[in-house]
Amino acid sequence: MIKKLQEEVKKLLAEKKVNMVIGYARAGDAINAIPYFIANPEECGALIWDKTCIYNLTNYLIDMRNKKVGIIVKGCDVRSVVCLIQENQIKKENVIVIGLQCAGVFDKKGAELGAVGRERAAKCKSCNVHTPPLFDILIEDKEMNQKVLQQEDSYKEIREIENKSPEERFDYWKKELSKCIKCYACRQVCPLCYCPVCVADQTMPQWFSRSLSLEGNFAWNTVRAFHLAGRCIDCGECERVCPMGIPLRKINKKLEKEVKELFGHESGVDAEKKPLFSTFSKDDPEEFIK
Amino acid sequence: MKIINKSEFLGLMEKWISSPGLIAPVNVAQTFRSADKEKNLIVFKKIETKDEVLADYLNTVKPVKDFFLPPSTVFDYERKDEGYNFNLSEVDGKETIIFGLRPCDAKSITLLDKVFSEDSEYKDSNYAKKREKTVLVGLACTSPDIACFCTSMGISPFSIAGLDALIINFKDSYVINTVTDKGKNLLGSLGKEAGREIDEEIKTLEESVKLKIKKTCNTSKNLESSFESEEYWTKVSNSCLSCGVCTFLCPSCYCFDLSDESAKRIRCWNGCVFLRFALMSSGENPRATKKLRYRHRVFHKFKYFREKFGENLCVGCGRCIRHCPVKIDIAEVVNNA
Repeated sequence: MIKKLQEEVKKLLAEKKVNMVIGYARAGDAINAIPYFIANPEECGALIWDKTCIYNLTNYLIDMRNKKVGIIVKGCDVRSVVCLIQENQIKKENVIVIGLQCAGVFDKKGAELGAVGRERAAKCKSCNVHTPPLFDILIEDKEMNQKVLQQEDSYKEIREIENKSPEERFDYWKKELSKCIKCYACRQVCPLCYCPVCVADQTMPQWFSRSLSLEGNFAWNTVRAFHLAGRCIDCGECERVCPMGIPLRKINKKLEKEVKELFGHESGVDAEKKPLFSTFSKDDPEEFIK
Repeated sequence: MKIINKSEFLGLMEKWISSPGLIAPVNVAQTFRSADKEKNLIVFKKIETKDEVLADYLNTVKPVKDFFLPPSTVFDYERKDEGYNFNLSEVDGKETIIFGLRPCDAKSITLLDKVFSEDSEYKDSNYAKKREKTVLVGLACTSPDIACFCTSMGISPFSIAGLDALIINFKDSYVINTVTDKGKNLLGSLGKEAGREIDEEIKTLEESVKLKIKKTCNTSKNLESSFESEEYWTKVSNSCLSCGVCTFLCPSCYCFDLSDESAKRIRCWNGCVFLRFALMSSGENPRATKKLRYRHRVFHKFKYFREKFGENLCVGCGRCIRHCPVKIDIAEVVNNA
């Protein structure tokens, strides 16, 4: 599988179909993976693919939107490519999608320790998209069928929180969000957080307090969540990178569930479809829209 | 060095909780369901009950700098004819004991002192007052991980730099090494003399822990020649996300930003890797690309600070490597520059 991947990337670069390919390589510590940018076809031997390839690389496409780029994606990551195309951020003709069949990657700690029992990140446990729905080149995994483990209920944790009393929920989120240090890693890693100037960085006028107050932390995290409603593709990167371990995926997952139940919309599935918030339907449950 | 029974020492710590006040590493991860039990989030926190205190951890996620340079400070001010009158009442100068900081974090305090202390050109009175009133009791590190490289930065997992006293976990006891007068006042009367034999054993233990640290950073390197290398800095910063993890978790990064919010002045942490860090009111941003920002971070740590203060602005705690979302390794970047 890795050989096939390396050959395909080499071909793309040698035939000058793309200026650069974004993939995965091994970090200097010989354990972790790192994002890897290749322009020289001779460097393709450094490309890797295994359970440590936890990153969603599509975040880098925005920076390179005017270049011809090849990108290596998993089934989850490709959905953000679909979103970026839908939202006119990148042009399909500029991107060559190299899809990998994937049965799940390590969670954050698992990638570092290679530890048993850490084989699947939380997002992978409820995943059923093992083959990317959109690709130009597909790298198949012949042992895929043996590797795929049973899919878990993706909204189990959300329902658990929904069943708590409002006071308990508020308490829970107060404790979680008070940990936020506003390093903005969640925003920076998010492939769909691409505003040239984030609302949190604006100073004229200043919308949020810069201080680390609980109110300010709530404001930041809720505004970000709402900006991602109907768009988040559940790649789980925000939760992975949060140094303070805030369960950000739970917030986004809740909104994903609401959007699904109210509008039957799933983000990042069909590049031909319009984004949820730039369309309307006559069956909309709200009165005002009719 | 003195040796003391563990339970005796813990009993003493219990007294510190009520007076003068104790700050120590605590696991604050909250669990909503049993499957999350293995989650750890260890940070320094004001201790309320003795059961919270941990002694078995690699290092805290956030360094101890929070207590001297808070992530955000709000100042009230009044406008007077002759200028502004800032109300600095936030710092009451209460005595506190910080227990459990690792020698790397303690070393970082000596670096911050160079910038903010009483004798510094840029004296920060809040910082100086807190430093004066705080006793730092370190805990020697015996299980460094693959991101640690303190031995390259002129310290060791048993160093005493910056500490008032160092506690070493030794078999069933603690060995206490009091360093300053503050440390002696607090702990000097405890335990009995350890004797030469234990001193030797501690030395051997220190050497064996040092050997566990495999990562190195070539700190004598002159980075000057790499400054113009567009190719190198592009390569190492290509994957950088421009988030604030490395700077906010760094024990020695101290940059801050000031902003005015409805008659209050807010001083909060800022990081040189953020896109808008160097943005000026004219609209000009001299470090608009991540290559320039990342190079600046490395140069500040390993060149500019060294030129001004004689030491590198890094203690090798490894947090920026351990927590970097894309695993950029500053030691490797310096070595290969």
